[in-house]
Amino acid sequence: MTMKKRTFMAATAATLASLSSPLLAQAQKKAAKGGPAEDIVFGASMPMTGVFAFAGIAIDAGIKDYLSILNESGGVEGRKVKYVPEDTAYKVDQSMAAFKKITSQNKVNLYYADSTGFCKAVNPELERHGGILMTGASFAKEISNAQKYPHQFMVGPDYSEMVAILLQYIAKTKPGAKVALVYSDTEFGRDPVEAFRTDTQKLGLKIATEIVTPPGSVDVSAEVIKLRRADPDYAIFHGYISAPIPEFINQARGVGMKTQFMGTFWTMDNSTVMRMGPNADGFMGVMPYRYYYDTEGKSPMLEKIRKMRPEYQATGYMQGFLAAMLLTEAARRTLAAGNELNGKNMKIALSSIRNFDTGGIIGVPLSIKGNSIPIGRVYKADFKQQKMVPASDWINLTQ
Amino acid sequence: MRIGSAKQSYAADAALFDSRTQWAWVAVLAASLLAFPFVANEYWLYLACLVAINIASTTGLNLLTGYTGLVSLGQSAFMGLGAYTVAILQIRYGTPMLLNLLAGGVVAMLAGVVVGVPSLRVKGLYLAIATIAAGVIAHFVFSHFADLTGGSAGLSVPPAQVLGVVLDSSFKLYWVIVPITALLLIGAANLFRTRIGRAFIAIRDRDISAEVLGIPLLRYKLLSFAISSFYAGVAGGLFAYFFRAITPESFPLIMSIFFVGGMGTMLGSVLGAVFMTLVPEVLKLIVGWLPLGDSAMLVLSPVRTIVFGLMIVLFLIFEPHGLAEVWRRIRRLFHLWPFRT
Repeated sequence: MTMKKRTFMAATAATLASLSSPLLAQAQKKAAKGGPAEDIVFGASMPMTGVFAFAGIAIDAGIKDYLSILNESGGVEGRKVKYVPEDTAYKVDQSMAAFKKITSQNKVNLYYADSTGFCKAVNPELERHGGILMTGASFAKEISNAQKYPHQFMVGPDYSEMVAILLQYIAKTKPGAKVALVYSDTEFGRDPVEAFRTDTQKLGLKIATEIVTPPGSVDVSAEVIKLRRADPDYAIFHGYISAPIPEFINQARGVGMKTQFMGTFWTMDNSTVMRMGPNADGFMGVMPYRYYYDTEGKSPMLEKIRKMRPEYQATGYMQGFLAAMLLTEAARRTLAAGNELNGKNMKIALSSIRNFDTGGIIGVPLSIKGNSIPIGRVYKADFKQQKMVPASDWINLTQ
Repeated sequence: MRIGSAKQSYAADAALFDSRTQWAWVAVLAASLLAFPFVANEYWLYLACLVAINIASTTGLNLLTGYTGLVSLGQSAFMGLGAYTVAILQIRYGTPMLLNLLAGGVVAMLAGVVVGVPSLRVKGLYLAIATIAAGVIAHFVFSHFADLTGGSAGLSVPPAQVLGVVLDSSFKLYWVIVPITALLLIGAANLFRTRIGRAFIAIRDRDISAEVLGIPLLRYKLLSFAISSFYAGVAGGLFAYFFRAITPESFPLIMSIFFVGGMGTMLGSVLGAVFMTLVPEVLKLIVGWLPLGDSAMLVLSPVRTIVFGLMIVLFLIFEPHGLAEVWRRIRRLFHLWPFRT
């Protein structure tokens, strides 16, 4: 090895060793103390890189935009909200590190979590901390258990409720229809399976088949044959973002299947659906929020968003925007009642929300009872318009 | 300048530390580890615990792959087995933490012996592929034996208790995780002062020659799998107590850690785990210091990931013996200064 290489390696190792010194922690503490004490801190473990970056970037933008609107209009009861995100690469250990870092440098009250794994891992820490109300990108059924996750909630229906909304639509549109569930062999994919089985029975629908695929699988010809044999009227995909849905639909259409394909929230972004090509036409799915371009009804917030960002914003943006809105609303109600800003009080304040107007982000006023908001609407892809258009009215599972 | 240390007995030759200077540095390290929790904040304590868990697991893998030459991709499965064993024991029976960790290690060890059986017939890449099966089977068991494992939702682990103290923060867990890792490291380092450890190295260097020398390959290869899996099981158990939530997807592949650190050295396991855990965080700090305003995270996060990957590749190209060799070279530089090595 030449001297040059040696110097490079030694210098790199020495730099890293010095940078990772805990003395940094002290420096950061001092820096944190300099910040304005009255700010409400909104932390976030945000996946800006990794497999979920597409959503993380959009969610981050949504949170930032809402907080800038809020801060410009005076903040929460006169207190500004300071947003402190950290990239997590969608890895639980890094999400946790981000949480520890943000909470050890700031007095955090509101937090956005990036994954189900992190929501579970951080739950004991949230209870121990006591001062934080959290929401995030997870719609896992388990998180909707308010007793087990008392300081968390989700900004929309959980995955089982998403499937239930689709099944309600199906039962209304075609009573007694045959429905198939195609899901990925992941925690995400398996989440609504039990609910699918019970809900189909309850609604008088028939289970055509259940197909489980490896996550991100490419060759689905065997599964398409199985689906063709079952010949369902509807097939619901869950546990995927995109692949293998386009391949599934293309092959199914290729063999002449007339099945109506459907998806759940993370599949339903306009660009994700339209990337499927012409076969995307008619693809349906459940959406808890309005699309960026929806002009139906009175929606001042959507108009504001369109003014701030003239280009299309993904569904993740809406999720982040609404997450920031509900978290800060809980903080506002807590402060307005003269209570201490902690996880318990904010959760009580959040649960007091009745007929809340989201400014058009959700098409109906929302009320919060448990950890989820079981409201959604079925949208359908119009490939000619390159848009998702409403196929149903808003469906509220609590009614 | 240090010109050498004369060794006048076999004991001195086999000693882990051969000079007073080294003992002094070990004392400094021990004192630093003791003082660390009192000066570091929760974030750095979290990272310290995470590094310690990764060191325990990587040391196990290094015993198997670095020292015995048996390539395994099943380490994460053994970690998972250890974690689930600990979680089930803690949730259902509330048995003491140390007993649970031991049980986690033993269950992983037994599975390791079974998975190690193909190592008698296949080597290298073929063995690696055979051990992947362990990961697939473990994932299947974790996801489908829902009554025991909680299925895809996984298990939430109550905090451990030691002497009546509830270990619910990184500060408290540090005092359990770091000593256990230190014990595992000392155990592994001492292993190579014994016949067993030397047999592992002989098998790695040339298994046929090792057998000619009287080393029973069956026994020693399986023993290597057993010890390695035990380490992974204990590391998994610590992981369960640390994160307190485990799911079938909690245990990804951890292969690259010791390649960066250096195969076949204890220091390599330590430096590899430190590098892989801390560098992403250090890069985040550097990005945070750059005066780029609000959009810094958006713009620089992908760059940071690329830099991290690039650093791994550069180490593999310029220093295939890993960070441990860099460290040795730095030490030699000081030993021989002002002369060149």
